[in-house]
Parts: sequence; structure tokens; C-alpha cells
Amino acid sequence: MHELGIMIHIVDQIEEIAKTQHLQHIDTLVLEVGELSGIVPHYLENVYPMAVENSILQHSKLQIHVIPGKVLCRDCHHVFHLVTPQQACPKCQGNNHKLISGQEFNIKEIVAY
Amino acid sequence: MEQLKVIEIQKNVYAKNDEEAAKVRAEVKQKGVYLMNLMSSPGSGKTTTLVRTIQHLKEKLNIGIIEADIDSDVDAKTIATTGAKVIQLHTGGMCHLDANMTRQGLDILETDGLDLVVLENIGNLVCPASFDTGATLNVMILSVPEGDDKPLKYPKMFKVVDVLLINKLDAIGYFDFDLNAVIERAKALNPNIVIFPMSAKLNQGIDAWCDWLEHAVKSSR
Ligand SMILES: Nc1nc2c(ncn2[C@@H]2O[C@H](COP(=O)(O)OP(=O)(O)O)[C@@H](O)[C@H]2O)c(=O)[nH]1
Ligand SMILES: [Mg+2]
Ligand SMILES: [Zn+2]
Repeated sequence: MHELGIMIHIVDQIEEIAKTQHLQHIDTLVLEVGELSGIVPHYLENVYPMAVENSILQHSKLQIHVIPGKVLCRDCHHVFHLVTPQQACPKCQGNNHKLISGQEFNIKEIVAY
Repeated sequence: MEQLKVIEIQKNVYAKNDEEAAKVRAEVKQKGVYLMNLMSSPGSGKTTTLVRTIQHLKEKLNIGIIEADIDSDVDAKTIATTGAKVIQLHTGGMCHLDANMTRQGLDILETDGLDLVVLENIGNLVCPASFDTGATLNVMILSVPEGDDKPLKYPKMFKVVDVLLINKLDAIGYFDFDLNAVIERAKALNPNIVIFPMSAKLNQGIDAWCDWLEHAVKSSR
């Protein structure tokens, strides 16, 4: 349900871009979703057909690039893969990290004419 | 057949709404209206708290309410009994309000002469946290029956709000709800969060919250 509202919001933005750039057909929509963004790619895929109905994206494909959650440990400078927000550094057990990636939720590109 | 090409967009999904929200914020400020966005899960007590808040502040402030909680006008009718100006937005199954819908609501309400406008957002702790409405103040309600682990499950909401109202304190004896743990968890996520424990039903704790709100509205002018 939440993904549907967000997907409709994305479709509206693409329709606007298609209008200003005089596009006639969109083949693929590419999104970037970070592992720590709170957005679940699987649900976006599920709601896609419903969200694009009667829009310029109606027969398009959805491609999702997942961006891994990566953090830098401020204590020992180790870079590691963060899966849940509360997770200690595997090297020094420290809890003082800086987020490098994983919170993205972007409209990356469209393939169109 | 025309040639397919890759068109780079590289834009955050929420960026466009954020731009609109910034405009709404500037517009209400210019009109001298203090816009508050009230969020929670369904049934946490948004409407009940609003009724209490209006009763408490109606002699001091001109208040308008934009109801978006559900696709009917039950809540709007409840609010109307207080004498406050109220409209019902029909959001057609959407799970959040965005800045454009908020502007529509403000236009329909007609905010001339109002000091405070409250948006009762759609009951949901997920999407409203990501969609800025353009409000001056963001408030959430967490009620006792929902459990004290909510800050761990919905960290984004606790990070974006200015105020947390902890409601249904009258029911705390029936639930495994650790009030101090909630306060600690909320402050870990958001050190500046202002917290008011209350029971909207028993009209307890409403004074402190309303005094704070009245001061916030008046000092924003
Ligand atoms: N026990 C108790 N019930 C409350 C309190 N505040 C609201 N309720 C009840 O919770 C239910 C949902 O309240 P409502 O204000 O409609 O919630 P909303 O969906 O967030 O607007 C109603 O039955 C209210 O009477 C409270 O402080 N204590
Ligand atoms: Mg309600
Ligand atoms: Zn480390």
C-alpha cells in the first residue's frame, strides 16, 4: 500500500518529464534503491502494473538497482556492509560509524524515444 | 521506428515534493498562518486530541482543521462540533498527504484570519515521514496500545517530527508499555524532540501541550 502511493508519485514525475521532453514511448524506468532507504524493491515491483495503468509508463519495464548499505567505522576506518541500523563494526566492535551509501531512493534514468 | 535513448534523470524521488513543500511553508508564513501536521497510526487518537486542543485554545487562537485521515467525513463532523472551521479532503485511498494536496486543502479551507491550521494526516507511520507537507510544525502521536518498540520500527518518523505526544496513558496498566524506554528511544533518534505524555480521553496532559503550542504559534509571528 505504501509502495503504491510512492510509485504513483514517481509516475507523475515521469509523465511531467515526458511532456516537457516530448517523449512518445518509454521502454524502461530505472530506479536506485538503497538497502537502508526503507523501500522494499519487491513491493515496488508488485505495485508497478497498478501504478502505471493509463500512464505513459503503461507498457514499460521497471528496473531496480539496489545500492548496498555501507558504512565507515570512525574508530578503525574499516568499511563494512551494514544490514540493520544498529550493528557494531566487525573489526573493532565500535559503534561510531559514518554512512557512506544505502539511503538512496532515486529516479536514475528512463529509456525512451 | 525511432531510436531508444537513455535519458538521465538522477533525482531523488522525494526532491520534487520537497521543493513544493518549501513553497507551501513560505506561503503560509507570508499569510501569518502556523501550519501543523499531525501524524500517527490509525486510531492513536489524532481526532480526539484535536478536539481537546481546539476546546483548550479556541478562545486564544483562530483554528482551522484539514481532515485527511479517512475517506469519509466522520472525523470532520466530530471536529465541527467544536465550532472550529473544518474541511474534509478526499484522498482516494492514498496513504499520505504531499505538499500539493496540502496546498489544495489550504485553498479550500480559506485561511484568512486563521492563526493555526492543523492537518490531520492519513493514519500511517511510513509514508507521511517521507513526504513533507510544508508544515511549520510536525507532530506525531504514539498511543500506549501500539507498544514501546515503535521508535525502533519506524525510526524515520521519530526523526522528522518536532513533537511526540504519547497518548492513552490511562490505559498503561493494561499494556506492557515502558514510558521511559520510549522517551529514551525517541531522544536517541532525535535529541531535540519535545515529548508530552497525555490521555486525550481523560483530558490529562492536554494543558502542557496546549500551552507549548500556543507559545509556538505566537512566537512564530
Ligand atoms: N483509552 C483511551 N482511548 C482513547 C484516547 N484517545 C482516543 N481514544 C480512543 O481511541 C479511538 C480512536 O481515536 P481517534 O481520535 O478517532 O483516533 P485517530 O484515528 O488517530 O483520529 C477512539 O475510540 C477514541 O475514543 C485516550 O487517551 N485513552
Ligand atoms: Mg481521525
Ligand atoms: Zn571499527
